[in-house]
Amino acid sequence: MRRDPLAHALIRTVPLLLLGMLWQAASSAGLINTAFLPSPATISVALADLLGGGEIGRNIFITLFRAGTGLLLGAVCGIWLGLMMARSLKFRAWVTPIVGGTYSLPKSALIPLFALWFGIGSLTAICAVYLACLLPMTVNTFQGVVSTPKVLTWSAQALGTSERQMLSRIYLRHALPDIFTGLRIALGFSFVLAISSEMIASSSGIGKLVFFYGENGAYDYMFAAIACVIAVAFLCDRAMLAVSGWCLRWHESAANARTA
Amino acid sequence: MRDLIRPKIELRQVAKTYATDRAAVLALRNTDLAVADGEFVSIVGPSGCGKSTLIYIVGGFLPAEGEVLVDGRAITGPGTGRGVVFQEYALFPWLTVRGNIAYGLDRQGVPAVQRNQTVERLIGVIGLQGFEDRFPRELSGGMKQRVAIARTLACEPAILLLDEPFGALDALTREIMQDELLRLWLESRKTVLMVTHDVTEAVYLSNRICVMSARPGRLVEEFRVELDRTKPREEIFLSDAFNRVRNQVWLSVRKQALAAESKNAP
Repeated sequence: MRRDPLAHALIRTVPLLLLGMLWQAASSAGLINTAFLPSPATISVALADLLGGGEIGRNIFITLFRAGTGLLLGAVCGIWLGLMMARSLKFRAWVTPIVGGTYSLPKSALIPLFALWFGIGSLTAICAVYLACLLPMTVNTFQGVVSTPKVLTWSAQALGTSERQMLSRIYLRHALPDIFTGLRIALGFSFVLAISSEMIASSSGIGKLVFFYGENGAYDYMFAAIACVIAVAFLCDRAMLAVSGWCLRWHESAANARTA
Repeated sequence: MRDLIRPKIELRQVAKTYATDRAAVLALRNTDLAVADGEFVSIVGPSGCGKSTLIYIVGGFLPAEGEVLVDGRAITGPGTGRGVVFQEYALFPWLTVRGNIAYGLDRQGVPAVQRNQTVERLIGVIGLQGFEDRFPRELSGGMKQRVAIARTLACEPAILLLDEPFGALDALTREIMQDELLRLWLESRKTVLMVTHDVTEAVYLSNRICVMSARPGRLVEEFRVELDRTKPREEIFLSDAFNRVRNQVWLSVRKQALAAESKNAP
């Protein structure tokens, strides 16, 4: 049955509100040491103060720029790599061991090295994000292309599709659902890597801000900044879902995407 | 004028071996076949006998030993002159009904006005008005196969290659689709090569039926079918001529299937 979407969204916030109220009650009752974990009320005051100033917006914008640039570069290169791996056996033989060998490496371990090479700032963060996004994009694109059914490629050939056109007309279209799966994973990675890179090697960005408040014991402001990160990341993920839902409206998954 | 001497499709000593991990499997051996212009030829045989392999070879999708000639020239790969319809429809799921039918015309750079006319006409032919902007996932099996046939016809191929085209449909839909195919063929007289495991379907539709042995496939027997296709289905089905050929072909296929069984038994 269809429900009013607004009412539906409100219902979904109920568990979050309950958790906040429980947290507040525990703080007020003195069960939690507010020196280490500030109450939601104090965090709200800090949040209002943060949102009043321009600092939080500026730093979120910087972080979004780093995450977005790294994601975009990683996606473009990853799609290309995945396509090449799927279409050329020689290329696959060379690249597969490299992908397999580096897949499980936590990319954040490389941040100090990047900081050494590229210094403190955007380039280090973008490189870390790029590397973290590259592999999920490569692997998912590869999967999507190699799983193209033979009868689809044959039909396309019999209808006059040239070898060049096959890439954009058939293989990439067929891989699109997998590419979006990769993009959603990469989007999550991009925030993690941008923020941890800023904590280690940056003088700006939301990661640096959170780290700075933590260092100085301003935990209410630290939590307020984290709340902003959560909100921005959530909105980005929803935007990604909306775009992929529209692009994949032809796909079998479109019928039940509403409930996801 | 139709060329009465030179066959439209000719296979000379065509053979196909598949390389698997363990050994090379012979799928098709020493096959000779000639299909005349405007002829409807069906290939029937037990499952797994290499019937589909034959269609894939004529389609130009699989390389094979021997020679495949179309209009007297050896084929070098797939071509728009040979339209193919697969059992699994093989529609492009990201394109609408209209987009699928227009696909081949777009690849050949047909002007938009002419392309749209052809697409609208074919949508009418397959009776899918009102479904033009649906995606394949929203269609039934019968509707998908209609779109697949229309998509192939849009390029106006001289040859139709049908790989168990109605195998995935329910019995009633299959009969309707057979009648539609028969009507299309009577109107256009295209050269058709069809693979099926349905003996009745083969007799109802074709001029000539080739029976294939179990793997490695070989054409073992041939039957001519002389029926007046303009008569309604009921009349054809109840006629002695139809049932005589049907029984002959059925016995021949059954012999091949049983031979395969006894060969596989320990």
